[in-house]
Amino acid sequence: MSGFDFDVIVVGAGHAGIEACLAPARLGLKTAIVTTNIDRIGYMSCNPSIGGLAKGHMVREIDVLGGEMGLAADATCIQYKRLNSGKGPAVRGTRVQSDKHKYSAYMCDRLRNEPALSIIKGEVKKLILNKSCCEGVVLSDGSQLRARAVIITTGTFMNAVMHFGLRQVPGGRIGDDSTVGISNQLAEFGFSILRLKTGTPARLDKDSIDWSKTTAQYGDEKVFPFSFRSPKVLPLPQIACYLSRTTAKTHQIIRDNLHLSPMYSGIIEGIGPRYCPSIEDKIVRFADRDSHQTFLEPEGLNTNSIYLQGISTSLPESVQDLFLRTMPGLENVKILKYGYAVEYDFIEPTQIWHRLETRNIGRLFLAGQINGTSGYEEAAAQGFIAGVNAAHLVLGRPEFVLGRDQAYIGVLIDDLITKGTLEPYRMFTSRAEHRLALREDNTIERLKIDSERIGILSKTDQDKSTEIVNARSELYININETKIYPNQETLFKLAAIPTSALTKSVSLADLLRRAEVNVFHLQSFGIEFFNDPLIFEPVEIAIKYEGYIKRQNELIAQAKKFEELLLPLDLLYSDIRGLSREEVEKLCRVRPRTLGQAQRISGVNPSAIQAIMVFLKSKKSRQEAGFV
Amino acid sequence: MGYGGAQEQDKHKVKGFKDNETICAVSTPPGFGGIAVIRISGPQSFEISRKIVHFLPEEPETHKIYFGTLNSFIEKTAIDEVLVSTFHQGKSYSGEETVEISCHGSPAITQWILQELVSAGARIADRGEFSYRAFINGKIDLVQAEGVLELVESQSKRAIQQGLRQLKGGLSLKLKNIQSDLLYVLANIEAAIDFSTEDIEVLNKETLFARTKRAEETLGILLSTYEHGRLLIEGLQVVLFGAPNVGKSSLFNLLLEEARSIVTEIPGTTRDVVESILLLDGVRVAFFDTAGIRESGDSVEKIGVQKSRESQSKADVIFFLFDGSRLFSSADVEILRGLDLKKVLILGNKIDLFLESEDQRRNKLKAVLKKSDLFLNQNELDLFVQKKVLFISTKENKSREIVLNSLREHLTNNQLEDEAVISQARHFENLSRAADFIKQGNEAISHGADAEFVALDFKAALICIQETLGERFDDQIMDFVFKQFCIGK
Repeated sequence: MSGFDFDVIVVGAGHAGIEACLAPARLGLKTAIVTTNIDRIGYMSCNPSIGGLAKGHMVREIDVLGGEMGLAADATCIQYKRLNSGKGPAVRGTRVQSDKHKYSAYMCDRLRNEPALSIIKGEVKKLILNKSCCEGVVLSDGSQLRARAVIITTGTFMNAVMHFGLRQVPGGRIGDDSTVGISNQLAEFGFSILRLKTGTPARLDKDSIDWSKTTAQYGDEKVFPFSFRSPKVLPLPQIACYLSRTTAKTHQIIRDNLHLSPMYSGIIEGIGPRYCPSIEDKIVRFADRDSHQTFLEPEGLNTNSIYLQGISTSLPESVQDLFLRTMPGLENVKILKYGYAVEYDFIEPTQIWHRLETRNIGRLFLAGQINGTSGYEEAAAQGFIAGVNAAHLVLGRPEFVLGRDQAYIGVLIDDLITKGTLEPYRMFTSRAEHRLALREDNTIERLKIDSERIGILSKTDQDKSTEIVNARSELYININETKIYPNQETLFKLAAIPTSALTKSVSLADLLRRAEVNVFHLQSFGIEFFNDPLIFEPVEIAIKYEGYIKRQNELIAQAKKFEELLLPLDLLYSDIRGLSREEVEKLCRVRPRTLGQAQRISGVNPSAIQAIMVFLKSKKSRQEAGFV
Repeated sequence: MGYGGAQEQDKHKVKGFKDNETICAVSTPPGFGGIAVIRISGPQSFEISRKIVHFLPEEPETHKIYFGTLNSFIEKTAIDEVLVSTFHQGKSYSGEETVEISCHGSPAITQWILQELVSAGARIADRGEFSYRAFINGKIDLVQAEGVLELVESQSKRAIQQGLRQLKGGLSLKLKNIQSDLLYVLANIEAAIDFSTEDIEVLNKETLFARTKRAEETLGILLSTYEHGRLLIEGLQVVLFGAPNVGKSSLFNLLLEEARSIVTEIPGTTRDVVESILLLDGVRVAFFDTAGIRESGDSVEKIGVQKSRESQSKADVIFFLFDGSRLFSSADVEILRGLDLKKVLILGNKIDLFLESEDQRRNKLKAVLKKSDLFLNQNELDLFVQKKVLFISTKENKSREIVLNSLREHLTNNQLEDEAVISQARHFENLSRAADFIKQGNEAISHGADAEFVALDFKAALICIQETLGERFDDQIMDFVFKQFCIGK
């Protein structure tokens, strides 16, 4: 292959790296993944869980498109929860606790069994750059690996520093070195590189905890696996998590030792996530609260390690020893690993395209925390998109980009590229303006066509998803087309539900829209629905919330007009009359691909959008008239 | 996909996307005329017009004129007898479905009709928007497009100047309150959705409902001020005051002369006070010429003077004229004493008769006024003389602009300072929309709708409010969430 060792090289084997290497490998491209530590492929560096609100949505999206995360999470799930199950259909989200070691082993196994994929142990020191193109990587031993496309997924490891109190240790995670070299090289190439901070709590020894002082929290009995390809029954035994709290004493100790916190003594410059503050942050910012809850989460079935959710800290070990022991159940706790903060470089994401290729260097893709995100799911989503696009680049196929009205993944990437981020970016349902359309239950319908276009899923899997969609469709039509009439028999059935009588004939869909009626009630009217929630739940939602869904679809249709108006990348904004200098500057920096994206750049006013539209239109008619 | 398609349930009409909306505006020049034409353009033109044009057939033909009575959608009364022309999509000036209503040419009627149309779902067109749409739809050519570009350009400059400054203090304060109520409610709703597993206490439904109800009510009150807005209904009342022979009538004629074509003289209710109306930037300004004031034994004249004094009480602005070629006399001071100084603008007339610099004139006037006890202190006097005194000559045309500019300034700066009143059609339209969304949201709450559906409406309302305030919607809800709740697992 003419001087290239690989088609695609992926640097880093975290959650982004895994999807980034599997996608091209499964499309038959010769792919390599380079990692310094093969034991930590797909390692859960922080909390041992996958999913959550909006995040669970993304895991399902990755799954339908052909990614691995959902299957791995289902296979290693030790507690399943559907969050917001009591709320509306668009904001229900799946979250599982995984056995982190099994998760890692599962992923490692998947990678090893991928025929087109090589796993290479090594540290990448440099990128091989030829003009403005990346042609491979140089390892620390000096060896060169040449590739047609390179994807960097180094997570929190770039120039990373860990903080234990005022003591600093270079490294991105306990036991792993930081990655030095790449970010300096990128900076030299003109990339703007900023710093972020994140933190992790202590890990505790299970046998040293007095569990009687904690409250057990169990998962759900009803399970809807992430992957439509997973078995409907979870393979691993399910366990509980345990609830404890901080006390007034905990807060006192933390307050007394704030001067030892690198955050409060000004050593850490990076910005941490507001949605995931350290315990010292919580105590300072919400001084009136005398207690914060925490979950004690087992990190696996065969490990003694307990994750202390919500108590991330960078206070010195000695202070952690003190304050942890003031919490109920932890009076004599043995600490396996102390909490710490980590500061790392990230590349301002406005410097990459939607396909996750960088703007300055061709054939170089970035995915995951290096783009300023946080979370395994956000990382995996980007890894997948980068992997597919790297493959498409090699194969000469068009870029693959998801819309904001199609997937949370689309929202994630468009937000990063259009707005950039100042804190580690986490997905929330509220970030999606078309939230009602982006539900967990309709993931297959949203992404089926794209998934087939990519072609990672096997024929069997594609047939399976077709079967699901057809079954839903049939049930939907059935419920909409079956009419009931106000006769004796109907009245009797309605009274049994119970719901009010009919005055005229209605469809079963009309009946189902009544608040007190659910899909099970329709059985008495002869509707057969296989008793499979995977089939009937989405149909019930589509009918019950039809009015709202329709309204959301209308908004999407309206937005489409702007999303479909492509802006030439070489558009000279300074030539457009009616734009302010600030607007020209911002538009030049982001170089939006559509008028819709231009609209989302903060500081670009509606009148500017009108001006651009007029400009393009008049340019076009000028060309048509033969002026240019 | 077989399912997911829907029918019926049209109660949640989608608004919010500029180019798909139906717009309306008066297309004839402002003021009184034989007739005025109101143009409605956009995909829902027929549907919206039909709410007041009851005689419009189910499927109107293109280029057809219908005659009938326009009925109020809001008050169920007749508005005017009108001719209505209909144009199908692709066959109108703008290229869109269009309705043109020819009504009688009075601003009161056209304003009323516009208001009805806005209530029925249209919005007031931006400057040049009909042409903009015509251009986008390929109805006008390149040369014409240049003109459109200019309009868009001026539009964006205006947008930059817009924002808070344009809103009167009281109104923006009220809107800020509504905004913060909505942010508060949305922050609670969103926190409950996105952070439901966290140990946070979001407020209960009743407390939130109280807030959104309050927002609905406040907005309702604000919107009703538009209907009764003094500026649009009554306009501005300006009384010309002063001693005899200082040039009041000349000023009156000067002010109204040039605008003769758009002015209708309305005879005064008495022989002594003459009223005439001028439209200034779309605002109705009524001028009252009064009898000259002097102490007199003549009983007929006394009655006239009495009327003059009365007319000042209902005035918004009093033009106090004196003969600027002479000194401000003690008689002038005495008349001034009887007036509400806050409303007074002193006009020194006849400056053509006596050459002097403006500073000299001002200083002389200041010296006279200083001797009176009309001002509490020097500062107040200085400010008054600086801001509230103009020197003019009714023989010179430019004086007309000087006087009218002072009125314009008054309209933008002083008018309705302490009251929260909506005076602009744009604000009215934006806020009506916000009110609709809040109402829908409140209905959704009372029907027990799930949080994400309720949030949809309140978020739409918030965006409308922020647009009116000249702010842009951008993640303020999440900022509020993080400020308010301790989140972090």
